[in-house]
Amino acid sequence: MKTLKSLILVVLALSCYQTSAQQEPVKVAGGNKVEIKTSAVCNMCKEAIEYDLAFEKGVKSAELDVPSKIVTVVYNPKKTDANKIRKRIAKVGYHADNVKRDSLAYEKLPFCCKDGEHEGEHDR
Amino acid sequence: MTFKLFVFIILFALSSNGFGQSITGVVVDQEQQPLIGATILELGTQNGTVTDINGRFQLISKTEIKKLIISFTGFKTDTVAANLTEPMRITLEENVSELGEVVVKASATFLDPLESKHIEIITEAELNKAACCNLSESFETNASVDVSYTDAVSGAKTIRMLGLDGRYVQINRENTPHIRGLIGRYGLGYIPGTWIQSIDVGKGSGTIVNGYESMTGQLNVELKKPENSETLYLNSYANSFGRIEVNANHARDLSDQWSTAFLLHADYFGSEIDQNDDGFLDLPKSRQFNLMNRYKFMGDRLRSQIGIQVMRDEKAGGQLGYGFGDDFQTSGPYGFMNRTTRVEVFGKTGVLFPHKPYKGWGFIYSGSYTDIDAGFGRNEYLGTEKTGYINSIYQNVLGNSFHQYKAGASFLIDDFEEIYADSAFSRQEVVPGIYFEYAYLPGEKFSFIAGSRVDFHNLYGKLYSPRVHTRYQLSDQTSIRIAVGRGYRVANPVIESSNVLVSSRQLVIHEAPEPEVSWNLGGSLVTNLKLGGEDLNLVFDYFYTTFENQLIYDVDQSSDNLFIYNINGNSYAHSFQVESKYALSQFIELKAAYKLYHVKTTIAGRLQEVPFVSRDRFFFNASYATKYDRWKADVTVHWYGSKRLPDTSDKPIELRRQTQSPDYFHINAQVSRGYRWGSIYLGSENLFGFTQDDPIIDPGNPFGENFDASIVWGPILGRMIYAGVKYKIKRVNN
Repeated sequence: MKTLKSLILVVLALSCYQTSAQQEPVKVAGGNKVEIKTSAVCNMCKEAIEYDLAFEKGVKSAELDVPSKIVTVVYNPKKTDANKIRKRIAKVGYHADNVKRDSLAYEKLPFCCKDGEHEGEHDR
Repeated sequence: MTFKLFVFIILFALSSNGFGQSITGVVVDQEQQPLIGATILELGTQNGTVTDINGRFQLISKTEIKKLIISFTGFKTDTVAANLTEPMRITLEENVSELGEVVVKASATFLDPLESKHIEIITEAELNKAACCNLSESFETNASVDVSYTDAVSGAKTIRMLGLDGRYVQINRENTPHIRGLIGRYGLGYIPGTWIQSIDVGKGSGTIVNGYESMTGQLNVELKKPENSETLYLNSYANSFGRIEVNANHARDLSDQWSTAFLLHADYFGSEIDQNDDGFLDLPKSRQFNLMNRYKFMGDRLRSQIGIQVMRDEKAGGQLGYGFGDDFQTSGPYGFMNRTTRVEVFGKTGVLFPHKPYKGWGFIYSGSYTDIDAGFGRNEYLGTEKTGYINSIYQNVLGNSFHQYKAGASFLIDDFEEIYADSAFSRQEVVPGIYFEYAYLPGEKFSFIAGSRVDFHNLYGKLYSPRVHTRYQLSDQTSIRIAVGRGYRVANPVIESSNVLVSSRQLVIHEAPEPEVSWNLGGSLVTNLKLGGEDLNLVFDYFYTTFENQLIYDVDQSSDNLFIYNINGNSYAHSFQVESKYALSQFIELKAAYKLYHVKTTIAGRLQEVPFVSRDRFFFNASYATKYDRWKADVTVHWYGSKRLPDTSDKPIELRRQTQSPDYFHINAQVSRGYRWGSIYLGSENLFGFTQDDPIIDPGNPFGENFDASIVWGPILGRMIYAGVKYKIKRVNN
């Protein structure tokens, strides 16, 4: 019994570790690539984040996958870094890995982009 | 045994009673609300039914039902396998606005795929390809509408469609007839580009719902709306000639249901530009102030809006030294002036029926007052127009949504007072009209619309305008459209010939003008081919217009006169166009078009080519845009073939002009860089600076008998460079 409990604990701890872990940027053709976990819940959130990152200095492309909430960003490491990008996403109103969202920006988000009770309803 | 027999009897009874099968079910929307009046059709047959008040249906068939087509206006049509064993539950998805989907793509013009009429939609993304100052410049990157200068003095631009003058195009603002009457000639300049949300370009005869004036086409301009426009949109523009322009739009919610929008435009151009050294301003000085404010109410059952537009536009052109406010009747330099003041109140009210998106009642109204004070050399023109217009439209289905109709009544009162030189013209038109339009919409493959209206004109009697439109989808990638219809308009000869009045020609109106009446017949074929993995979109269209009556502005008979008379003979226009669109990559789109016009009319008793129309035209546009338009670049090339010019053989030999113009290229380009807050843009019109040599005949003697500034076939201004900034604060919708 005890071993089972500790096993569960270990698994939980591992999964926690995995979700909060920030992925390190990797080199790809055209710059660095980083995958950032966000709190985006719908296609409007995807649109908002991708739109904002399209105008961020150094960002070459940004694509958010709504089911996994992961945005894949390719950027020029000479002009920006992964943390700057995370902060930018937070400014739009979404969590980005361990960078907390800007609460003022979050308040201004359209109703469907807010998480909470109706999360899942707009997952399409 | 008895049980088996019982079952057998029941089954037998059912089959003989119901002649086969019965399917029951319910049709709901995504919120699980029942849809009333949705159509259920057995695939491949005419057997169908409609859902009742609870969204339920029962379909009985003699044969074995395999598949059902479920359709409902405002929803995506669905085909489902029939379920005989239990009641079916069918959910229809709402049709998302196609406009919203397309804006983010590179392609900014598209053809409404399910529309029976040939209608191209120019979105804001397309309008952004040229920093257009007003509606007349909004067609720069569109192949179907031609834009050209009317004369060498007024700077006015005019459009042509299907090879014919823009006066045969009905120009609506949000489905209300707008640019007509006295503002028919200069009115395109009274709709600022930054106010425009989108433009529908309909080729051939249009719907009868908006009146009888659509003869060669219908343009519908949708302006920025109170409920969804940017909170703030600022645009400032300046060009190398010294024109400056500011635009400011503001929209906000006033409550859950009320919203408002303010649209403001002001421009000023005061420089004296004379690049060809003929002593005449190549472009008149101009200043405009234009304001619109409207309020919109959006309820569940009622939608309503009311707005006001106030506009003042002033132009001062002619010889160098002529300025705003100078008296053209006494001034030394030859003067052209036009001061137009216009006030309009307009609105719409619509009654909706919840869960019956096919049913509705709409009421459109507008009232306007236009005052024009103009001068052409020593001649003065004064005109006022008072217009009142109402249109009441009811739409519903006949039984099911396969059969829809619109029925309504309209009333137009139009009061004109005009004075030109020594002549006075006045008329009052009172035109009540009724109309009915039936649409058969059995699915995506085929549609058919037939409508007719009859108007009871106080001056010209009964006017019938029947129209038929049909669309057939030959395959997934190919569809054809055919349209035929009759249209009318009543001309305003003096203001419509104002481009000719900048000359020594005497205006001679032989007889009272009759309404212009035309038939238009045509169609298009749209197809998509795969080329290197990408779609090549091809549009072929052909339209034929023939006139029962046309008002002829005869500049050929004599170079001393402009004769205006009702036609005595044939008049027709053949227009053929092929347009192709190809996405070279995710970022680059190419568009090319070739047009062939064959336009003839009876002038001075002889069937001849209409002057100033190129028989051949070529158009090319390449556009590059990165995601969300961070970078955007455009190049547009127009090639105009030779045009016939008016006969000048009775002028002194040194002042005669050729009978044909040379062909020429006109090239525009623009680059813009987008930011989160808006964009900056830099562009050029007439990049290679081609201009018409000596556009004015005898410019040294503007008050002499040979002066003529109306023979204009090409650009008068050389290369122009412009730049501007757009600043936006996005609307936060909650």
